[in-house]
Amino acid sequence: MNAPGTAEASEAIARARAGDSEAWGDLYREYAPAIFRFCRRALATREDAEDATTEVFMKVRDKLHQYDSTRPFTSWLYKVAANHCWDLLRRRRIRQDKETEDLETLPLEHPDANQLEQLIEKRTSEEVRKALDALPTRARMALVLRYYSDMSYDEIADALGVRRAFVGVVLLRARHELRQALEGSGALAAGGAG
Amino acid sequence: MSSPPQTNVQGKNMQHLDEMTILLYLERQLDRARAAEVSAHTQECGTCRTLLRALERESRLLTRAMLEEEEPLPARIASFQQSARRTLQWIWMLTFGLAATGVYALYTSYIEPVQSHLQDAGFGGTNLLGLLIFQGAFWKGWQSMISLVEILALIVIGGSALLLFRRWFRRGMLAALLVTGMCGAMMMPSNAAAIETRKGESIEIAKSETVKGDLLLTGNRIVIDGTVDGDVYAFGQDIEVNGHITGDLLTGAQTVRVPGIIDGNIRAFVNTLIIPGSVGRNVMTWSQTFNLDSGGTIGRSVLTFCQTFGLEGKVGGDVTLFDQTTRITGSVNGSIDARGEMLTVKKTAAVTGPIKFEGETEPRVEDGAKLQAGAINFTKHSSKDRNENLRSYYLHRLLWTSSFILYGLVMIWLMPKFAGDCFKSAENAGASVGIGVLAGISLPFAAGLVCFTFVGLPLGILGVLLWLVMIFSGQIVFGGLIGRWILGRTEDVWGRVGRMALGMGIIGVVVPILHQIPVAEFLFKLVVMAWGFGAIALVLYKRIARTPSVPVPPPLAA
Repeated sequence: MNAPGTAEASEAIARARAGDSEAWGDLYREYAPAIFRFCRRALATREDAEDATTEVFMKVRDKLHQYDSTRPFTSWLYKVAANHCWDLLRRRRIRQDKETEDLETLPLEHPDANQLEQLIEKRTSEEVRKALDALPTRARMALVLRYYSDMSYDEIADALGVRRAFVGVVLLRARHELRQALEGSGALAAGGAG
Repeated sequence: MSSPPQTNVQGKNMQHLDEMTILLYLERQLDRARAAEVSAHTQECGTCRTLLRALERESRLLTRAMLEEEEPLPARIASFQQSARRTLQWIWMLTFGLAATGVYALYTSYIEPVQSHLQDAGFGGTNLLGLLIFQGAFWKGWQSMISLVEILALIVIGGSALLLFRRWFRRGMLAALLVTGMCGAMMMPSNAAAIETRKGESIEIAKSETVKGDLLLTGNRIVIDGTVDGDVYAFGQDIEVNGHITGDLLTGAQTVRVPGIIDGNIRAFVNTLIIPGSVGRNVMTWSQTFNLDSGGTIGRSVLTFCQTFGLEGKVGGDVTLFDQTTRITGSVNGSIDARGEMLTVKKTAAVTGPIKFEGETEPRVEDGAKLQAGAINFTKHSSKDRNENLRSYYLHRLLWTSSFILYGLVMIWLMPKFAGDCFKSAENAGASVGIGVLAGISLPFAAGLVCFTFVGLPLGILGVLLWLVMIFSGQIVFGGLIGRWILGRTEDVWGRVGRMALGMGIIGVVVPILHQIPVAEFLFKLVVMAWGFGAIALVLYKRIARTPSVPVPPPLAA
């Protein structure tokens, strides 16, 4: 698990399920920062992320009895957060359905590895974050689910509502768009090597 | 991975893997055979190996960029726990503070001045509640009550400190500390009082002996010939006070005789009480026979619940009587308010204040009796009247109980979950009664304050209305709790209604029984209302605390 503060607290979960408010507080204290950062990466503004964090924990509280304690709590938590953020974006009509159509048309290319290496070498984390903010929502969400929440392809497919077979395509396309944003040109994304 | 594009791309010298395939290999999404192929290829092909490394680095860069905490957490999220605790602390502190201030203000503003005026005017203050609560050996005066307020304040401060630092305490430890603190606080008065205890078949305080401090005596026969500079708590068969007690006498015995001097009060639960001596302050007694002998004097007021009371001596204040038969031959420097079957005022009697008598037979007043305020104000209560009154009372109780059951039925039907929560919450007796008492006192005060401060009258009135609704609904909750005790828990709405109706029925039977005992009905209702009120307040608090407007989710419902 990549996200911080994800040590499982099965005892606290069990107590929270039994109605122990102290345990609920412990869970919140443990996981709220990670969920806020997840929402911050997935949504456009800090304010949206704050509200979403609140709402995610509301949902978690109501659905805690549905949680299968044999599975990692963090995975379930991120799944709830992902669904919530994605629903939020859909409700705001930010999601672009036409993106689905493009999935089949990803060109099979072999980009210039050295150029890619140089790009990665030059860019800072801050620049990557700025580039992420500039991505279309599906691309950004896919990268967040995979590289922040460490979700499996099945979970990503479920969260984004795409077929599992196309999760890799979505991710690769998202990487291309990120490179474009970082580079300011389509050179790398289009593939320079022949 | 089932069928993502996996076509190889033609390079200069050999076919290279496409980026999609390398990514899927990197992310362990290829089946074993394909992964082995890709692995073998990247061993041989430097270009594809470089791309694999680049993609891997890109993944790491992405993860690192997203995990970095470049901006602080929003304050409302970071500080939720602290703020929630602070809010809770302030609620509790406010409630405790208001309750303590309310009690103290109530006393200093109303009770103390009235008492003082009454005392100045020569009235001893014969109000039953006043005698029970604000005077005498029960509370040892308001000095003790002020101490109580101080102790309450200490508990509040201590409790608040514990709440503030509760993150360092485990819950059990916190509870233990609170209990220890409260026990310590309760022990304080007894330590300060330094009660000396004496037990035995026969106990005698010799004439030459002087006991400093309070004294607890238990024995078959107790004789105090000497001096006790403090209060005496005496329990035995025969008790005689020939000497001098500078404080109060609280006693339970077959026969108590006081030829000596008591500077304070007498509170007696006895069969026979005879006072040939002197009592400086008040006398309150539950007894079969009480006689204030001709030489006996009582400095202030008298309150009696007796079968026979003979007042032959002198009383310096008012007299309140709930006796079957009363005979007055002595003097009373105050008023007489008597209820019973018979009142006789002999010719030697002298009463300065007005006399009221409610009874079955007209009081007998002998010629020569000096009644300075004129004739006795007599109200006749015949057996028939009493029966009618009783019938009326029972009918009233029946209607009252029925209307409560109906009210409860509607409330449970309209708000089944809330009602269920309230019944469940009421099972937590300590918290319910405690919060009921505190919130029951503080809410009207808070509402009053709101009326005169910034929010205005409507909110204050709303607060008072809410208080009234909760007070009345509290009885329903207590009824439901009794039903649960008897029939067990249920989630069914009509099951809850049935249990509530059963409980209310039981309350309806108990209240008329307690009606026969002075104060008992009032105290019972007080406990019932506080209990139910507290249970509702707890549920309301939990509901309010988990409303979505709160920045982050509050505690789970218990």
